[in-house]
Amino acid sequence: MTHLRLVEEPADGPFREAPLPQRLPHGRHGIPRSVVHDHQRLRLLAGMAKALAEHGYAGVTTTNVSKCAGISSGTYYKHFGNLWDCLLAAYVTTAERLCAEIEAACAERDPGTPPLRAGIDAALELCAAEPASALLLSTHPPMEAVAVSTARRQLIARLAAMLRAARDPEQPPSRPPGLDERMIDAALAFVGAQVTAGRAAHLPALSPELTAILRP
Amino acid sequence: MPPERAAAWEALPVDSEVRTTEEQAREGAMEGVLAVAGQVGFRAASVRAILDYSGGHRRQFYELFASKEDCFEQAYSAWLARVGSAVLEAAVAAPTWAASIQAGLVALFEFVAGRPEIARALFIEVQVAGGGALAEHERTIERIAAALDGVRERIDPDQAPPASTGLFVVGGIEASVCDALTAGDPSRVWDALPELMHLTVGSYLTTADAEAAFEEAKQLLARRGGEAE
Repeated sequence: MTHLRLVEEPADGPFREAPLPQRLPHGRHGIPRSVVHDHQRLRLLAGMAKALAEHGYAGVTTTNVSKCAGISSGTYYKHFGNLWDCLLAAYVTTAERLCAEIEAACAERDPGTPPLRAGIDAALELCAAEPASALLLSTHPPMEAVAVSTARRQLIARLAAMLRAARDPEQPPSRPPGLDERMIDAALAFVGAQVTAGRAAHLPALSPELTAILRP
Repeated sequence: MPPERAAAWEALPVDSEVRTTEEQAREGAMEGVLAVAGQVGFRAASVRAILDYSGGHRRQFYELFASKEDCFEQAYSAWLARVGSAVLEAAVAAPTWAASIQAGLVALFEFVAGRPEIARALFIEVQVAGGGALAEHERTIERIAAALDGVRERIDPDQAPPASTGLFVVGGIEASVCDALTAGDPSRVWDALPELMHLTVGSYLTTADAEAAFEEAKQLLARRGGEAE
């Protein structure tokens, strides 16, 4: 069962330390069943992003997600009913993590750094460190994955609200309603294009430009 | 949108020249692969479904195309050229840069609303198809961004927007089209016109220019709504 949720994760949320969690030991290890279950799920979510980056929407299958996660196909189906369930869970988890990174960066920023710049820095650093996650968030899903499209719209609405909050509060809010959502959509597409073109590592250097574009 | 404008896109694949049976079969299959991919997704689009749409035989399909992927790639290229021509034709006829952006978007949205299944294939399913079609898609995005950047000639270098502005704006336009298509209501793409005009013009020119473009787009939609009634 996939839980669709776009709320803050704790700072030590899923794969914050390692994009693809390490395997647990084989055989009798005494680790509680629930821990094993959660661990498998996290590996499958990370495996989904990796498989998508490797095979694209054309070639991604439950088999190659399982392979990327180092988990059997049988175990895959204990967690997810089909490919799109796993994609949705991976999307929502990654979206939550992106938002948490931005919020943490804004909260902990140097007083001389505007919140907009701090948030964009954090977002681009995450995308540069994890291009597969960046592609997962930025690429429009195929029509089979309708629920992922909904999750994408929720992410855009949340990021647009964060953008409004991060702008200079002294600027008059003379912007048409909906424009910030268009700008976030554009920013996601821009990041996706950079990653697709093999320029993910260059993303943090684009932070000043993206800040200038999103600031007006 | 007035219905006759959408109908213009229905007639687009049929040109006035006398064509051979092979050309007709090729044209039909190319429209078929995009229409079927737009209806059921590229992954689920079978050659049988394409032929059910376009007519013709399996053997003939494989004489014309190496595979479904090959057919999609050729179809993508052909339809992109058609849509691109329509957008460009509309844009160059406009008197100002902002007006040409609006005219180009209107031509694009007429296509999206008039042939949503083909548009879904061109904008969304191309990500699934990948290969040469996706590479052409990415080259096209860069060409459009470069075309938008033409306005920089008239901007004081001290006021010039960041280098990435063109790609950012084109990404925003594409994302709005994809949103309308995935929402299952392609006519919703028209709702985005004023905001996209504000985003595009405001990214290059002044806030006053952006607000004027926004208002102009709203008035255009009001006029078109009146014509449709």
